[in-house]
Amino acid sequence: MEHRLLSVTDSALREDNNLSPKFAAAVLSLITNPFTSDSTLSSLLEALVLRLKNPKSNSDHQRVLSLLSALSHHHPRLRHRIAAAAHAFILLPSTLTPSLPHALSLLDPAHHFQPDPFSDESLFLSLCFWQCVKTRRWILRNLNKFRVRPSVLLTVLLGFTKDPYPCIREAALDGLVMLSNGIVVEDPSLVEGCYLRAVELLFDAEKSVRLLAVRAVSEWGHLLLVLNGDKTRREWSDALFVQLCLMVRDTDAEIRVAAFNALGKIQTVSEGILQQTLSKKALEATKEKKYPGQYTAKLFNIPATAAAFTFVHGLEDEFYQLEPSFDGKLGFDKKRTAALLVLAISAPVSLERSICSIPPRIYSYAVTLLGRLSTGLVHVMDQNTLLAYLSHCSKFTVASTSENFEGELLNFDLKDGFSHLWKKSDASSFAESMELKKVTTPVHDYLLNSHIKATSCVEIVFRKVVDLWPLIQLQCMNEVVRTLRSWKEELRHFSCDPRHPAGVLGFALRYLHVIKLLGKAWTCYFSQRNLQFTETGVLEALLHKMESRLKEMLYRHAGLSRGEQLHILELMLVAYTLRLSCGGTSYFEDYINKLKNVLCRVEYLQKEGLVELSHFVIELQNISCEIGHSKDGFIYKLDRLEKSLNLFFLKHIVLSGELEYLDAEVDVCAYEFQDPLPFIPGLPVGMPFDITLYNISSETRLWLTISLGEKSAQFVFLDLSEFGGSNQIRSFTFLSPFFGAPKAKHFSLKASIAMECLSEDQHFKHSMVSEFCCISEEILSKPVILCWLMA
Amino acid sequence: MAIECLVLGAGQEVGKSCVVVTINGKRIMFDCGMHMGYLDHRRYPDFSLISKSHDFTSSLSCIIITHFHLDHIGALPYFTQVCGYNGPIYMTYPTKALAPLMLEDYRKVMVDRRGEEEQFSSEHIVECMKKVTAVDLKQTIQVDEDLQIRAYYAGHVLGAAMFYAKVGDAAIVYTGDYNMTPDRHLGAAQIDRLQLDLVITESTYATTYRDSKYVREREFLKAVHKCVAGGGKVLIPTFALGRAQELCMLLDAYWERMNLKVPIYFSAGLTIQANMYYKVLINWTSQKVKDTYATHNAFDFKNVLSFDRSSINAPGPCVLFATPGMISGGFSLEVFKQWAPCEKNLVTLPGYCVAGTVGHKLMSAKIPTQIRLDEDVQINVRCQIHQLSFSPHTDAKGIMDLVKFLSPKHVILVHGEKPKMVTLKEKIQSELGIQCYLPANSETLCIPTTHHIKAGASDAFIRSCLSPNFKFLKTNSAELDDSHKRTMPLLQVYDDRVSEGILTCRRTRAQKL
Repeated sequence: MEHRLLSVTDSALREDNNLSPKFAAAVLSLITNPFTSDSTLSSLLEALVLRLKNPKSNSDHQRVLSLLSALSHHHPRLRHRIAAAAHAFILLPSTLTPSLPHALSLLDPAHHFQPDPFSDESLFLSLCFWQCVKTRRWILRNLNKFRVRPSVLLTVLLGFTKDPYPCIREAALDGLVMLSNGIVVEDPSLVEGCYLRAVELLFDAEKSVRLLAVRAVSEWGHLLLVLNGDKTRREWSDALFVQLCLMVRDTDAEIRVAAFNALGKIQTVSEGILQQTLSKKALEATKEKKYPGQYTAKLFNIPATAAAFTFVHGLEDEFYQLEPSFDGKLGFDKKRTAALLVLAISAPVSLERSICSIPPRIYSYAVTLLGRLSTGLVHVMDQNTLLAYLSHCSKFTVASTSENFEGELLNFDLKDGFSHLWKKSDASSFAESMELKKVTTPVHDYLLNSHIKATSCVEIVFRKVVDLWPLIQLQCMNEVVRTLRSWKEELRHFSCDPRHPAGVLGFALRYLHVIKLLGKAWTCYFSQRNLQFTETGVLEALLHKMESRLKEMLYRHAGLSRGEQLHILELMLVAYTLRLSCGGTSYFEDYINKLKNVLCRVEYLQKEGLVELSHFVIELQNISCEIGHSKDGFIYKLDRLEKSLNLFFLKHIVLSGELEYLDAEVDVCAYEFQDPLPFIPGLPVGMPFDITLYNISSETRLWLTISLGEKSAQFVFLDLSEFGGSNQIRSFTFLSPFFGAPKAKHFSLKASIAMECLSEDQHFKHSMVSEFCCISEEILSKPVILCWLMA
Repeated sequence: MAIECLVLGAGQEVGKSCVVVTINGKRIMFDCGMHMGYLDHRRYPDFSLISKSHDFTSSLSCIIITHFHLDHIGALPYFTQVCGYNGPIYMTYPTKALAPLMLEDYRKVMVDRRGEEEQFSSEHIVECMKKVTAVDLKQTIQVDEDLQIRAYYAGHVLGAAMFYAKVGDAAIVYTGDYNMTPDRHLGAAQIDRLQLDLVITESTYATTYRDSKYVREREFLKAVHKCVAGGGKVLIPTFALGRAQELCMLLDAYWERMNLKVPIYFSAGLTIQANMYYKVLINWTSQKVKDTYATHNAFDFKNVLSFDRSSINAPGPCVLFATPGMISGGFSLEVFKQWAPCEKNLVTLPGYCVAGTVGHKLMSAKIPTQIRLDEDVQINVRCQIHQLSFSPHTDAKGIMDLVKFLSPKHVILVHGEKPKMVTLKEKIQSELGIQCYLPANSETLCIPTTHHIKAGASDAFIRSCLSPNFKFLKTNSAELDDSHKRTMPLLQVYDDRVSEGILTCRRTRAQKL
């Protein structure tokens, strides 16, 4: 059968007559049949090549070439011979231009033929200017195969943007986009020309052309920005932004998405224009402003007002994709404007989120920026208002609470809830402490079980700690440290997991650490004073450590009684007083404020019920009262501040009940430190985190902080109601984006879980300055470090 | 050649939309509406202007109806069955399905309740609808040898469409009513960028700039919730189709979230029936509704019940949707009479009310007030009034956006109020450089059109035209004046093949010689 077919086709191929479709089909069947023998195939190839060389069968060449490409496709080992034949065919003077694309596609452009048809500019141009649209389209779609001078390429592409066929215009724009990534043009006017040419095609009747025009405008626009000096760059950047804003109102969703994506890539835009994107009416700042570009097919200047309402149009779009495209835009460098944008977006979004089904994501991005935005809004609203607004908004994480009409209502709830909490814990702690005392008095008689054993042991240790105070005052630190160490070892015996002691035990260990630090600091301070030796660095470091330990004790233990809190606060006051008294401190004001804040908290505890204040605290209160609220008043009272330290002595801390330690673990799924993750510079990266939370109630506000180096940190809000699990343990996987991937070969990120703490000023309105910019935080987890390598 | 525009209705006013456009000899009637504010002959367009001999069938090529609102379709049965028009009529599928409901409801209100003289009967409506050809979106219809029409999605109400019509080289778009931003149940208008000589656009909100819809929705919910929380009754007069579904989706979702038990009623069978149509015609709704349709049909309202007439004065709070929207009569007026005197109650008003209706009087009234219905009946209005500011019509920005997108050579504004239209006209002319007109009713406007002359060309010329033949032109920067006022970009590309008009013609002739 095979031989019969071969003999028939072979003779047909060798004749001068036209190759009939019947024979062509027979040849094709031989080619595609996997059982055709090699000898048949090579004789077929020979016949086909021979026919290709025959100028008389010109009309058949297309058909022969398609048979050859089928052969090349099905039998790769013949590819080389086919390519050689095609190459020879291309060089024949008799070859007609329409057959060339087909022949060229049989060649491998990576293989350098001599002479190389892909480097032949005249061949390239003759194909470009051939009358058949198909040829033009082919050449435009295969531009990357040709090695012609960029100047020739650019000229041809520009010319084709005016072609009457939409598919050619589209392909030309595609070529321009490709070219913009690969060439260096130093003539700004040429780039400008290309840019404006692409702009013109934004008004094309064809959707597909407009879509590519958006991309081309974006790419060439960026080239233009690079070429311009600072002054004109700003202008062009605005022009590009406004031009793309125009496309946001296209009736095709795909084009709108492309336009928003392109808008997201623009780095700087002037403030006026950004504000215009929020307003429908022309704003004063932008009313008269015009930029080079195109407003309609006939108006060759674009007014800044073209940007009107862009932002909201995007948010209101019925096609979901537009909203992720938005996120990029939040990265503007103008703080104030960004702040306004964020607020403007978050206002309707937070109020209406469940109605409008905008992903909560957008809002959480907004919140993450607010820390640095608060400075930008300094004349509009003060920090407290912003903070209140935020806590109000971010409360709306569950649909059911989102519909409280009055903001005030919610605030009341918050306050009530807070005071209620205080009262409750107070009452219960009192009862519990009474019970505990009963249990623990004759310690050795009550070794009921290991838990009680541990608790009682802690109780003994706490009672003994007081005895260390005289030793500290005598500056016998070696003695003190040794004693503390042995106690620590004792306590660790009771713990099931010696590395992570939980509950009361953990609290006790931390307390002992604090005492050690206090002792060292105290010794350091008084020895310095005596010797007039001003090596304050060590002291400062000790005090800083002590402060953070104390904070950890205060914030990361659930179930602290008022007495325990007061004890910790008093130690904080000691640390701050020492810090202020040691002189030469660079953060004098900060510590004054911290001191005041702690005093306020003490006052609050005092108001809530019976607590006995020590002479030391009372003295500090008096000093603070005398000074009033003036900030520099403390400087004149430094003497009294120093003397007040003499009133301090370590008291016995009484444990009132069970404590729970808030803890978190964060890890990255399937990630090995030696094996960096791939990334593309400038694009966001996504990381799947394995997060486990211990003893954290769903009301706790947790953030995932991702930091790159020391400077910048990105906060991502973790809405605990979205994840299952109980308060005791909650385990989930969280996919977080990171937007600030730098333009570098590699980088590493540090991620940890932070808890938002009730920063002092939130509840004590009369102290105005908060510790951190807006949210004070407590890091709960050990950081995980991720390495990234450019893809 | 020119396009001739005869405005029979909605010229410098809202109501009885009807424009007869003659394009290259073909006459098309766009919309055939009635005016809700009049009861005399003024309620219908003056059809005699079309043809003195009243031979409408031969003088019109076709009628195109954009959507089912009565001010766009109300006069159709009268025109076909009473005036005798017998030619083709085109509308979209949903419009064809819903129009008879609207017309029948209107007829009932007018004849059965008000006892007016019947303008057209139920049979008329049925017969009229038989003449209608339903079209799909973006489907090109060859009405006759020369006339092509095509429908585009317009938002506004279910099945609303803009229509493109082309005869020879002249082409126009008649927008009907449209919305450029999506709402809860419908999408935004969607149209191709076409080569147009003329766009006839509505301009209901020619000078209004609307804020983000979320704020408006919230205000509405707040007002309703406050009222029912205080034990009041909420009357929401709406058209049976469109706003009713939009607001109902909003309220239903809110009720669900807030776990409210206050009943929401629909007044008549009409609306219930309409909801069924919405469920069936889901493909014409917004992208979001379409996306979620598989799991939950947005028109399956969980909290909505049908209303029993006897419970108008039943105690306790409730929310009631009642027709017609402008409280011009019917059930909404009946309920309004009962509920208006109580301070606890709330009446919402649609964004637009035609002059002469109770709704219109309430818009400008200061509460408490008295509204005189006729010589005998006067209502004490003490209830709260909430004006709904979300409307299915586009605002000024939307109109500008559409005109800018289409960039036609001329724009005609209809369906609006004159002073506002003048402002918009100025804006279109100054900002976009497009000629704009606002003809009054019964006026005829002539617009010149492009016309390509057919010329013979030799084969050689055609062949030469097939190859790309472009040249570059660089404006000398010295020619630019200082004020940055460039009229054209620096670098320009010309291709002889696409150079238009006179040049091509002249060369053609040269070739022939």
